[in-house]
Amino acid sequence: MPAAPAEERLAAARAEVRRASELLVDASPEALQSCHGALDRAVSELAGFRSQCAAAPPDAGALSTALGLRSEILRAARLLENLAAFYRGWERILGTMSAGYTARGDAAPVARQGRLYCRG
Amino acid sequence: MSNLIASMMSAAGALNAYGQVLDVVQNNVANASTPGYADQTEELNAMQFDPSQGLSGGVTASQVLSSRDQYAEQAVQQQTTLLGQAQQDVSSLTSIQSLFDVTGTSGLDSAFNNLFQAFSAWAQTPTSTVARQNVLTQAATVANTFQQTAQGLQQVATDTSHQLQQTVTDINQMSSQLAVYNQQIMNGDRNDAGLDAQINSTLQQLSQDGSITATQQSDGTYTVLLDGQTPLVIGNQAYNLSTATVPNSSTSANPQGPPHLSVLAYDGTDITSQVTGGQLGSLLNTANTVLPGLVGDQNQSGSLNTLAQQFASTVNNLLTQGYQTDGSDGSAPVAGVPLFTYDTTNSTNVAGSLQVSSTATPSQLAAIDLGPPEVSNGVALALSQLANPTDGTGEINGLSYTQYYGGIAANVGNLLSNATNLQQTQQSSVAQAENVRQQVSGVSLDQEATILIQFQQAYEASSKLITILDQLSDDTINMLSTS
Repeated sequence: MPAAPAEERLAAARAEVRRASELLVDASPEALQSCHGALDRAVSELAGFRSQCAAAPPDAGALSTALGLRSEILRAARLLENLAAFYRGWERILGTMSAGYTARGDAAPVARQGRLYCRG
Repeated sequence: MSNLIASMMSAAGALNAYGQVLDVVQNNVANASTPGYADQTEELNAMQFDPSQGLSGGVTASQVLSSRDQYAEQAVQQQTTLLGQAQQDVSSLTSIQSLFDVTGTSGLDSAFNNLFQAFSAWAQTPTSTVARQNVLTQAATVANTFQQTAQGLQQVATDTSHQLQQTVTDINQMSSQLAVYNQQIMNGDRNDAGLDAQINSTLQQLSQDGSITATQQSDGTYTVLLDGQTPLVIGNQAYNLSTATVPNSSTSANPQGPPHLSVLAYDGTDITSQVTGGQLGSLLNTANTVLPGLVGDQNQSGSLNTLAQQFASTVNNLLTQGYQTDGSDGSAPVAGVPLFTYDTTNSTNVAGSLQVSSTATPSQLAAIDLGPPEVSNGVALALSQLANPTDGTGEINGLSYTQYYGGIAANVGNLLSNATNLQQTQQSSVAQAENVRQQVSGVSLDQEATILIQFQQAYEASSKLITILDQLSDDTINMLSTS
C-alpha cells in the first residue's frame, strides 16, 4: 500500500492527539491506557511526516496544521498534568492523614497494608 | 459485667454506624438529580477490641472519604477559576481586537495606506488642487480613525469598569448566601446532603469569579478566602468587597491619564495586587495592564498615543519646514502650516484628540523644499516616503508607522489567540475535574489504591510520549517556517 501524503500524516497525528485529549477528560485508568496508544500513533505519524518531507516539501497549509497540532499537544499535556497534580495532591493529604509528616516536614508516604482488591 | 457493657457498646456503635450508612444511601437517592451533589459514602472501619482496656471493638465511620470529596471539589473550583479567567480574557480581548483591523480594508491600516497614496499622488502633481484636497480628506480619515479607535478603547475601559463592579456584586451576593448556609449548619443542619450540595454549587459559581479557598471548619461551617488571604465568609458573617478608582499622582508623568481600578477588602485594604484569578483577575488585568499599554495611564502614553503623536508631529514638521510658494514672483516665500492638531497637554489623549487643523486649506499645504537645491515637490515626496522610511524619519523603534501599527494589532491578536486556546483547554480541564470528582466520590480507598497504581503507570508512559511529541512538533514547525 502506498504511503499517505505527508500532509495527511500530519493531520492524522493531530487527530490522534485530539483523541488522546478526549480520553484524558474521561480520566479512568482504561482511558489512560488508550490515551497512550493514541499518543504512540501520533508520534509515529509525525515521524513519518518528517521523513516524507525530506523527499517532497509540503505545501504552505502544512504549517497551519502543524501549529494546530502544537495546540493539541499543549492541551493534552495540560490535561495529563492536571490528573497527575490531582493524584499527587491527594496522596500527600492521605499521607498526612494516615502517617503524619516526615522529619523534614513533608507529607509521610501513605501507609498501605498488603490488601488485595479484585474487580470483575 | 464489664464484658457485657463492652458488648452492648459495640452493638450500639455498630447500629450507629450502620444507621449512618442507611442515611447516606437515602441522601444519595433523594439527591440523585440535585446540581452540585456528590454521592456520599460511609466507610466502616474496625475499632480495636480489648474489653480489659474498655475498648469495645465494632465499626465506626471514617472522615477520610469526606476529605477526599472536599479535595475533589477544590480541584473543580481551581479549574473553574482558570476557565472564568480565560473566558473573560477572550471576551475583553475580542472587543479590543475588533478595533485593530489589519486586513487593510478598514481601520488605521487602511487609512494610513490611503493617506500615503494621497501624498504620493500629490508629489506627482504638486500644484494640483484635487491632489491637495485628497491629502486633506485622507488626513482627516486618519485622524478620525485614531479618534474612533481611542473612543472604542475608552468604551472597553468603561465596560470593564462596569463588569468589575458587577462581578464584585455577584461575589458579595454569593458570600452572603454562603454565610446563610453556614448559619443553617450552626443551627444543626450539618449532615443535610441537600444543603451540602447547595454550598458546593455556590462555591463552584463563586470560583468562576475569583480564586477562592473554601475550607470546612470543625463545626461544619465553610470559611472562604479570596486568593488565600482576604476573607469572604467566616461562620455566619460575609465580608463584602468593593471597587474603587485609584487617583493618579499629581507628580506622575500623566496626571490626567486614565486611572487604574482597584478592589478593596471589607476593611478598605487594597487587595488588587493579590487578585490574579477568575473573572475578577482578568478584568483587573484588562483595566490595569492591557488597556494602559494601548491608551496609557499615569506613567505611560500607550502605544496608540505614541503612534498618533509621532506620526502627527513628523507630518507637521515636514510641512512646516516646507514652503507654499518659493518667492520666485518677487514676494517673500510663504512657509507651510501644520496639518494636524492634538492635545499637547495630555500625552494619553493624543489619539483621542487628533484632527486636521480646522484652518488648513489645500493651498496652504507646503510642497516645496527650498533646499538648496530647491525641489518643487520635495516635501510631498518626503511625506510619501513615510510609507517606507529609509533614513529614520518616520520610524518608531526602527519600524515604519504601518509596521508599528501592525505590531500593536499583532500583539492584541496573539493575546486573544492564546486566551482562546486556554479557554478551550480549560473547558476540557473543568470537564476532567468534574469527571474525576464523580469517579472518586463512589470509590472505596482500596479501589482507589489500585486506580492510583494504574494511573501512575499510564502517566509515566504517556508523559514520555508527550515530551517526544512536543520536541518533534517544535522541530517540525521550525522546519516548515524556514522552508
